[in-house]
Amino acid sequence: MSQYQKEIVQAVLIADNNVWNFKPLSDEGSTALLPLVNVSMLDYALIALNRSGVEEVFVYASLYLQSIREHIKRGIATYASWSFKMTVHVIGGEGCRCFGDAMRDLDAKALIRGNFILLGADTVTNADLRPVLEQHKRMAKFDKGTAATLVFKDCVSSNERTGNELLIAVDKQNTRLHYHQRLRMNHKESRYQIPLDVFLNNSCVTLHHNLLDPQIAIGSPSMLSLFSDNFDFQTRDDFIRGLLINEELLDSRIYVALLPPAQYAHKVNNWLSYQLVSRDIISRWAYPLVPDMGVYKLQQQYVFYKDNIYKSPEANVSKVALQENVVIQAGSHVDAGTTISCSVIGANCRIGKNCQLNNAFLMADVIIKDNCQLRHCVIGPGAVINENSDISAGCVLGAKCILPANTKLANTLVTSSPSTQRTEELEHVELEAIGPAAYIVNDQTTGDPDDSDADDHLMPQLTTLCIPKMCDLQNAAHAESDISYSSDDDDNEDESRQVTPLPDDTNIFLSEVIDSLTRGYREKSNPDFLILEINSSRYAYNMSLKEVNFNVVKAVFAMESIVEPANGNIMVAINAVFKQLGPVVSNYIKSEDAMMDCLKALEDICEENKLVQEKISQVVHYLYDKDFVSEDAIHKWYDQLDGEEHATLRQSLAKLVDWLNQSSEDDDDDDDDDDDEEEEDDE
Amino acid sequence: MREQPLKEVTQLIHAIKMGLVEGSYSITNKTLDIFKYIIMSKSWDSADALMQIVRAQSRILQAALPQETVTSNIARRILKLTREEFELLQAKVQHFADDSQASLSLHKLVTQTSESCVSVDYSVPQQGLREALLDHLQEVETELETSSENISVQAEEHIHSSEIILTLGHSRSVENFLKRAIKKRQFLTIIVAECAPACRGHNLAATLAQEKNVEIIVIPDASIFAMMSRINKVIIGTHSVLANGGLRAACGANTVALAAKHYSVPVIVLAPMYKLSPLHLCEQDAFNMVGCAEDVIAYDSMPARDAKVYSPMFDYVAPELVTLFISNAGGHAPSYVYRLLSELYHPDDLEL
Repeated sequence: MSQYQKEIVQAVLIADNNVWNFKPLSDEGSTALLPLVNVSMLDYALIALNRSGVEEVFVYASLYLQSIREHIKRGIATYASWSFKMTVHVIGGEGCRCFGDAMRDLDAKALIRGNFILLGADTVTNADLRPVLEQHKRMAKFDKGTAATLVFKDCVSSNERTGNELLIAVDKQNTRLHYHQRLRMNHKESRYQIPLDVFLNNSCVTLHHNLLDPQIAIGSPSMLSLFSDNFDFQTRDDFIRGLLINEELLDSRIYVALLPPAQYAHKVNNWLSYQLVSRDIISRWAYPLVPDMGVYKLQQQYVFYKDNIYKSPEANVSKVALQENVVIQAGSHVDAGTTISCSVIGANCRIGKNCQLNNAFLMADVIIKDNCQLRHCVIGPGAVINENSDISAGCVLGAKCILPANTKLANTLVTSSPSTQRTEELEHVELEAIGPAAYIVNDQTTGDPDDSDADDHLMPQLTTLCIPKMCDLQNAAHAESDISYSSDDDDNEDESRQVTPLPDDTNIFLSEVIDSLTRGYREKSNPDFLILEINSSRYAYNMSLKEVNFNVVKAVFAMESIVEPANGNIMVAINAVFKQLGPVVSNYIKSEDAMMDCLKALEDICEENKLVQEKISQVVHYLYDKDFVSEDAIHKWYDQLDGEEHATLRQSLAKLVDWLNQSSEDDDDDDDDDDDEEEEDDE
Repeated sequence: MREQPLKEVTQLIHAIKMGLVEGSYSITNKTLDIFKYIIMSKSWDSADALMQIVRAQSRILQAALPQETVTSNIARRILKLTREEFELLQAKVQHFADDSQASLSLHKLVTQTSESCVSVDYSVPQQGLREALLDHLQEVETELETSSENISVQAEEHIHSSEIILTLGHSRSVENFLKRAIKKRQFLTIIVAECAPACRGHNLAATLAQEKNVEIIVIPDASIFAMMSRINKVIIGTHSVLANGGLRAACGANTVALAAKHYSVPVIVLAPMYKLSPLHLCEQDAFNMVGCAEDVIAYDSMPARDAKVYSPMFDYVAPELVTLFISNAGGHAPSYVYRLLSELYHPDDLEL
């Protein structure tokens, strides 16, 4: 039987996450193919999967599908190290806008047969995921509702925030996730807010506040169907949050695995983390994913020299020029007098005389003329920087930009032509030209409104720019600590974010009951069906019997025909409604307690509806007359009414109560009296 | 034009990179299998064509795995074999009429070399070369298989009862050698330096401890010098032997060799013939391989951000620190390595 065949380890790679953060280069090609230390990020992810023994990979891309497909084909032709014992399929579609869409599409295509590894194409890791996969399988055997195992890594506390940091609460015994909160960039929390339920409901909880989310997860087949069932899950965080809130309803649980300290994992989600991960790869923390191991190509590309210098034998550069932590690809040429440190230089770059490069990331075919200064910047493929330019502090130059001589840029994004923008028409106007093929991209206004919104929340006061940029890492750490304690409004905002107004279940229930009753009254449907409808709403919102009684009566009096009676006569309206809906009400109002609830609801209604308030004694009498409420209940309710608060109510009821006292003495006349009263009302 | 790698070659490279094939012996064995497959199934009509293929593939192996010199060594062996067999067959054909033995006589060889070596034309198709080569390959395979055994039988000649032996890390040759010595000699004390950060010495100590009548002591690398004064012999394995008799050995070997020199303790290096490579130590930086920084210092430590962390895999041990090489062909002094190399490989093949 087919299901007893050896299970193939499958993996899903989601490309094109965080497109916005890699502007302007993300407008010119897939971010998954962005080179990180001269190897595209997709290759790092594929190698990581290959090392974990994955046999089949689905690369899911929405943008630039064709270029990813070509890249995979080229990789197989050149014997990329991931092409052994692993088949790679590229799938995707234009309609896919987010992570959730990708998962739903995968579910629809039914390609995944068992537990699978889920990775972002921008994850760099040397971890062996096999033990985690085994742990997930064991857990799935034990708990059928296992939806996913998330893999986290301890992060370095001194490191800068890159937006990947997390606070989680985990059950210590079975590693089940109970709480998940993404920490904000450029902010060091002095306190955390964790819901009390986490501690009340679990005996043994550990909190991890220094975790890094490398976007690695092991998914069960049910994970995909959960995405299909809940079409509002947009991102992975939505999925986690949704499952944590509705874990009983969805009957799914998330577990957590931590990578051992020796294994490196990081997600490259913006230029800042790009810089961090490049540094870590160059200083060999991600071994064996280091430049001189030939991670991608069959041949070794570099020779490793001391001070972490990786120099291709075909690069034309004097050793003096390379100071430390430098990777230089084949075909590049560096002239005399230039010094390079902490930089990556792509293939076939030309760097002129007396330049200084520090933390500069040059992609292929970049030309830098004499006497330039480059610090903390990314230069796209084929860009040209003319003489005496100074580029610093997080600049990013798009492909084929040409900067005129003597340009000074700091903290700016530059693209080569205004038409490469993939956003609305408006932006075309805003692009400021600084040269024949160089336009400044304003990253504050462009891009997805959601994203920029999120970013505004994330970094409200630090910079005028939204994209986290490269910077001097040491200085950034200091600057951060200054900011963190001086932001009061920030904390307020924090609270407002924490206390998101949850839609009150009672209110939803009430409005649903009103809807059902209005419809039932209008269409004159069978009261039994209405009762069924109300009961199902009741179970959906988990209402107690008391609340149901209360709300049903309230709903009846909140109906349009009673709130705005046809000719101003409310008793006629009430009579009409009760003729139709009487059986529904009497279904709920049976016991003494229920009658009390009913009368309490009336008390509530009086405050909202002036007409009812005026004729309250007649309404109560009507209910008494039609046997919805008993005499005892009315007495009891009347006694409970507060003298001060409900003075008018007591006053108008006093007569009725007196009369009730009398009538209980002489039962015989009861009926006649009632009739009289009613006739008076009608007049 | 660049040669296309064979499927088998790329798979071997991948397997070695992924750590699926480990140790010089298995790498050599696998490489030999590939070359055997090339000789058997590839279409070549002359010795020259075969040599082209072998050269091309071994160049690819070398470019991908510059530190694994055994692959090139075995390629050189094959090339030498091809030359020999071809010349032998040619000679047989040429001199069959007058005297088949004459061509092989020492006198003839000495007088012939000057002109015949230059004049030999390998591109002439030669019948029976394939079969002859396969026969000879069988011999090489057998030599490979028995090399460890051949080395360990010499244990008794070098290790005597109640001696104290020091070794470093975990070498398979050393393990067999010591096991043999433990069986034959009594009251041995074996001190194993753990060889951090991989600490493979622990494995060696664990396997040796299963033997009887032996005392095993594991020491940290830092105590090597302190222990050296009481040691009778140092026995280590090596990754490869360079042309000058120097070693590229596990990191820590130089510490051991220098300490041994200081206390005049003999250093015996176990090196099967396939580890002899005709390379010289030229560029100091490219000679080594550097491992994961995490092994040396934790990623989450403060100095890790600014420090440059190196975890080298190999040490260079100068030939004057080595007392004796023991190969499957017997014991040799380091100064004799050049002679072994000229016997093993043809001078034209030193550069692949």
